[in-house]
Amino acid sequence: MATTLTLPKLEMSMSEGTLAEWKVEDGATVKEGDVIYVLETNKTARDIEAPASGTLVHKAASGETYDVGTEIGEIV
Amino acid sequence: MSQGNLGIEPEVLKAIYGQMARIRAVDKAIQAGLSAGKFMFTYWPMTGQECIPATISQLTTERDYMVTTYRGIHDQVAKGVDLYGMFAEALGREDGVNKGKGGSPHISDPKSGSMVTTAIVGAGAPIANGLAISAKERGEDRVTIVNFGDGATSIGAVHEAMNLAGAWQLPVIFMCQNNQWGEYTRIPTYTNSPNFFGRAEALGFKGVQLDGNDPAAFYKGMKEVVDHVRAGKGPVFVEAITYRIGPHAGVGDNYNATKEELAAGKERAPLEKTRALLLEAGISTEEELTALEAAAKAEVEDAIARALESKPTPPSETIVDVFADPDSVPQRGHFPVREAEGELSGDTESISMAIAVRDAQHIAMTNNKEVFILGEDVGDPQGGVFGTNKGLQTEFGDRRVRPTPIAETAIIGAAIGSSIAGMKPIAEIMFVDFLGVCLDQIANHAAKQRYMSGSATHAPLTIRMQLGGGMGGFGAQHSQSLEAWLTHTPGIKVAYPSNPVDAKGMLLSAIDDPDPVVMLESMMLLYTLKGDVPKGEYKIPLGVAKVRRPGKDLTLISYGYMLNHCLAAAEEVAKDGIDVEVIDLRSLVPIDYHRVLDSVKKTGRALVVHAAVEFCGLGAEICSTINEELWGKLKAPAMRFGADYAPMAYSNAIEFSQVPTPPSIAARIRAAVKS
Ligand SMILES: Cc1ncc(C[n+]2csc(CCOP(=O)(O)OP(=O)(O)O)c2C)c(N)n1
Ligand SMILES: [Mg+2]
Repeated sequence: MATTLTLPKLEMSMSEGTLAEWKVEDGATVKEGDVIYVLETNKTARDIEAPASGTLVHKAASGETYDVGTEIGEIV
Repeated sequence: MSQGNLGIEPEVLKAIYGQMARIRAVDKAIQAGLSAGKFMFTYWPMTGQECIPATISQLTTERDYMVTTYRGIHDQVAKGVDLYGMFAEALGREDGVNKGKGGSPHISDPKSGSMVTTAIVGAGAPIANGLAISAKERGEDRVTIVNFGDGATSIGAVHEAMNLAGAWQLPVIFMCQNNQWGEYTRIPTYTNSPNFFGRAEALGFKGVQLDGNDPAAFYKGMKEVVDHVRAGKGPVFVEAITYRIGPHAGVGDNYNATKEELAAGKERAPLEKTRALLLEAGISTEEELTALEAAAKAEVEDAIARALESKPTPPSETIVDVFADPDSVPQRGHFPVREAEGELSGDTESISMAIAVRDAQHIAMTNNKEVFILGEDVGDPQGGVFGTNKGLQTEFGDRRVRPTPIAETAIIGAAIGSSIAGMKPIAEIMFVDFLGVCLDQIANHAAKQRYMSGSATHAPLTIRMQLGGGMGGFGAQHSQSLEAWLTHTPGIKVAYPSNPVDAKGMLLSAIDDPDPVVMLESMMLLYTLKGDVPKGEYKIPLGVAKVRRPGKDLTLISYGYMLNHCLAAAEEVAKDGIDVEVIDLRSLVPIDYHRVLDSVKKTGRALVVHAAVEFCGLGAEICSTINEELWGKLKAPAMRFGADYAPMAYSNAIEFSQVPTPPSIAARIRAAVKS
């Protein structure tokens, strides 16, 4: 089953975040727990880990700011 | 390694680790779900604090009561809250333990003994006292454990609760999970205290500091604490030293901590250390632990998968669980007809409202040994500052009539907790003006417990408050009419009798009511107004207004002491041939719109009068309903008349003019009838 990656709400006050950098290339294999991208909020930069194992599909470009809930990728 | 070296039975250590592994699996799954955007709820991670509840779980059962906080998922897991119900709750689903109405910061699961979870810092402690009172009075050997953070030691509720627990030697454990952080601020910014456990000794009971990250040491220390409290030797304050590895809220690491501090915190974290110890001591094999962790993960995955299948709790549930009966909820266009009391018969006696209130309490206490009174100075000989409890302590003893410290938050909290456990407390708050120092307990806890728990638990306490207004000389802080503070809070019923007969019958209804009820008693009425009060037991239902004077030209709507001013004004204008119908609301919530609207349909005019400030007062609400419902049938718009927008003045000349009086009410009636 594919796992959809949406921009997470990490803080009560968070409404958007910047996908600073993909740490794993589009189409590469990831293991649950691997850092897959860096998310910047107005507070800090956070490493976000893969919630599942599989092939990572990018669906949003890095360097851009997205609303919480935006689909940014998938692990298939 | 032998058991002697470990200081804990191997089986117990293994069981503690088993709970830690379940907690970790839950924590990881939540963080993964939030990171993936699969979940959208606020999470206060407890990573690093697993050892505390995991260890407590080996010393308590579901019979023991627990109160905890928003950062309490570890406590819930170890207490035995069903994971499926917990996840469904966190997701706002109808299969949640609380029907998705409370969410993860408000879990209430009496089956496992997880009674109350609060998101108000420190507010659980006063409630825990009440649970402990019930256990002690019933002769049960349950202990109550209330969890809170280090930051919570700064708030008044915790101090008030500790002092009361010490004074009454309650079987309660104050479990301060000192994770070194109060949100984004830490010691010594927020306190100069060298420690927290030392505060217990200052209040006359035992305090201990334990390493909350070391299962063997914590188990040993907690065993003594639990044994002490279970044996009835009084409360204990435990300062459990731990470290918050995560952020205040959200996922990941504690980004407020320095790298070095965080690394040191992780180094001391209990889960990894305990796992290593189990292997080193030869208690478990790697395969056993891997299997145990896999089982925990599978349990969590299964719970989440099923929880995601549960339906979001629908809007049709909105007014369900506000009160026991949804018909008590004020609703636009729905005006239930509640049956009035029958004609009261039998012998009567001419008594004041103070005696009527006393008699009602006497009857309730005689009927049910779980009814008890608590409040400042309620004991004999004075029987309360207003003498409304005179003789009751002498007759029923000091366990049933309990004079309290001067601590309104502790009083209401104790009443809430004991009522959640099924007792019938009556809390007396000397003046309604003191509402401000216990409003959190009333508005955030008593009023919301049923709703937040999806009716898993509820707090049917009775609160009696006196009002000093209208007499003169009490000043701005002892003369207010604050009923609108209460009526604006969903979940709390409000009764405000205008005479001794209603006071006795409504108080008996309030005590038996399944919901929290505040009864307001005007000082002016307590002594000055006598009534022919039926002897013995009778009830006046809540939510039933009464026509005090029939009339045809205008409906005058009021309650409490102001009702009597309205009756006087009605007689005054009767001399001019104006025939006024006077309605006594008696209860403000539930409100009897059925009888109010019926009357106004007949008269075509309405004036609502109250002693409370007119601006944003109950009069505005009632007038608006009348105008909306009867527009077109009215001869004039419904009008309201309350106090001027000013604090109550000390000067009698001002006080008697700033609040409606019979002449000023009469003037308004005349003006209304002309229009
Ligand atoms: C009365 C109150 N004030 C402020 C808050 C906001 N708040 C939520 S958690 C928190 C920090 C509490 O720290 P602590 O008691 O140490 O508990 P921890 O979160 O560390 O478990 C604060 C200030 C609140 N929920 N309630
Ligand atoms: Mg803390």
